[in-house]
Amino acid sequence: MKELHKKISLAVEVAGISMKNPVMAASGTFGYGEEYGEHLSLHHLGALITKGISLNPQPGNPPPRLVETTGGMLNAIGLQNIGVRALIEEKIPNLRKYGIPLIVNIFGTTLKEYEEVAKTLEGVGGIAGLEINISCPNIKKGGLAFGTDPSDVFKVVSAVRKSSSRPIMVKLSPNVTDITSIARSAEEAGADILSLINTLIGMAVNPETRTPRLANITGGLSGPAIKPIALRMVWEVYNAVSIPVVGVGGICSAGDALEFIIAGASAVQVGTGHFVNPHLTAEIVAGLEKYLRANQLTSLTALVGTLETAARKSS
Amino acid sequence: MARIIFNRRIATTYYRMRILCPEIAVRAKPGQFVMVRVTETLDPLLRRPFAIHRICTESDGAHSPGPPSCFEILYHLAGKGTLILSRKRRGEALDIFGPLGNGFHVERTLKTALLIAGGIGVAPLFSLAQALKAKRGTPAALPQVFVFLGGKTGHDVLCRSDFKRLGTTVAVSTEDGTSGTPGLVTDLLRTFFSRRPPSAAIPLALFGCGPLPMLQALSEISREHALPCQISLESTMACGVGACLGCTIPTRSLPSKDFSYQRVCREGPVFPSTAIAWNRLPSPVPNG
Repeated sequence: MKELHKKISLAVEVAGISMKNPVMAASGTFGYGEEYGEHLSLHHLGALITKGISLNPQPGNPPPRLVETTGGMLNAIGLQNIGVRALIEEKIPNLRKYGIPLIVNIFGTTLKEYEEVAKTLEGVGGIAGLEINISCPNIKKGGLAFGTDPSDVFKVVSAVRKSSSRPIMVKLSPNVTDITSIARSAEEAGADILSLINTLIGMAVNPETRTPRLANITGGLSGPAIKPIALRMVWEVYNAVSIPVVGVGGICSAGDALEFIIAGASAVQVGTGHFVNPHLTAEIVAGLEKYLRANQLTSLTALVGTLETAARKSS
Repeated sequence: MARIIFNRRIATTYYRMRILCPEIAVRAKPGQFVMVRVTETLDPLLRRPFAIHRICTESDGAHSPGPPSCFEILYHLAGKGTLILSRKRRGEALDIFGPLGNGFHVERTLKTALLIAGGIGVAPLFSLAQALKAKRGTPAALPQVFVFLGGKTGHDVLCRSDFKRLGTTVAVSTEDGTSGTPGLVTDLLRTFFSRRPPSAAIPLALFGCGPLPMLQALSEISREHALPCQISLESTMACGVGACLGCTIPTRSLPSKDFSYQRVCREGPVFPSTAIAWNRLPSPVPNG
């Protein structure tokens, strides 16, 4: 019984970013924090990643921008955002109030733009790190265009690396032949953390009108439908690189988060799950604590990458 | 957690659900909405948005004393989500997030309110009529409320007697002529104005909810008569709070640009009709 009362810790440190627990809010699903912050407490979040930001404001794609699918949803928002200067002036001061590590997701349509966004954020207080988006499937230029070729990935990550003193997390696309080669390029270029996966490119058609259900025709699939793919890729990448991996993709429960952690994720991001249950991150944090207690573990880090794949003893 | 007081079919494919949830009922304003999770499983995945239809107590009594403990939603069977919702019974718990969005804005000086509903679009307008009729002051000081209900058929004309009980004047039109005046509800409104041209001396405002072509026609009529008009829009939503940017509509809010996208869930769902960039609107695909 004594073990049950041991002090347990969910705290993790990922490439210098200290978090009280490993549960982050994923970029693009949590706006600039204030949208959910007006309705619920955000203090339990391990970190918050802001909506992808570019040098200049972006209008985004025309509607319809989202459609529900079985076990998931397709979105084609088109990276609508207010631009990095407005983020710094209007959003960051408010975000600091939550007292949680802030990670700014950045993207550009050219290498130069990626650099400039990173430089503009230099010296801005209250930012724990950057997440480089090289994986958005919904804009023609930028985003995914930089995320599918290992040499392009190397270029964009190197450019941001030179422009920023902060920890850099690179968000990888699953829309590639071999995610481990992309992951290794990002690592070689100086990435501190890899987050994966972004959405899978998908599509939905209305048979009555014979038209696509999204104005953009294709969109990014997210939600529980993509979890097995995300998990497989996290495990592959975890075994291919030596920097920490952050798992994202369809996490809807503490059990889902544990799967990612056991497969090699040092932390996790919750995205679409928030839409289903706005209190999900708090519930995952509570669930992780319960799991550690039940398994007599005192820290979460001890669990990372503990997947047992060796052949079991035959009886 | 909220609990279902009743879940009644009120017409062929239309349902009315009363929900006990004081936390939402006391804060809800006409025009706001709630996000309802129709199942504990992940299929269907997303919550469904529903307008606050009526704010009341458990035993109804729109005029009951004391704070409201309940609210109602009115819904149309449109797909998997609403089918699951329609099977729920009295006493069942329901996971509801809200109230969300901005409601209708009613000027204190308003003397005449015209409420124009197309089909299920009547949902948010009933709570507005309730609020207009519950305003304090002498009966003479209360605004006159005219309600125009339109539908494809008589089955799609909802809440007629409820509006009458509130003391509003109700006019009905159907596209197939099975109830009220044959034709569109916006034609009904044009006839009304031809008989009673609006006067600047009597502050008048329009409030509408329904299919986009109807709202566009309504916007046109309000422009012709230079009358303020607020419309409540429907959109497919994921988060309901403004985080995902999935429900946006093109608007003309920025003077520097041709248009910009605003969130139906956060800047709306009620917009001034002049704010909408009608020529850029797609046909709606609501989640069922």
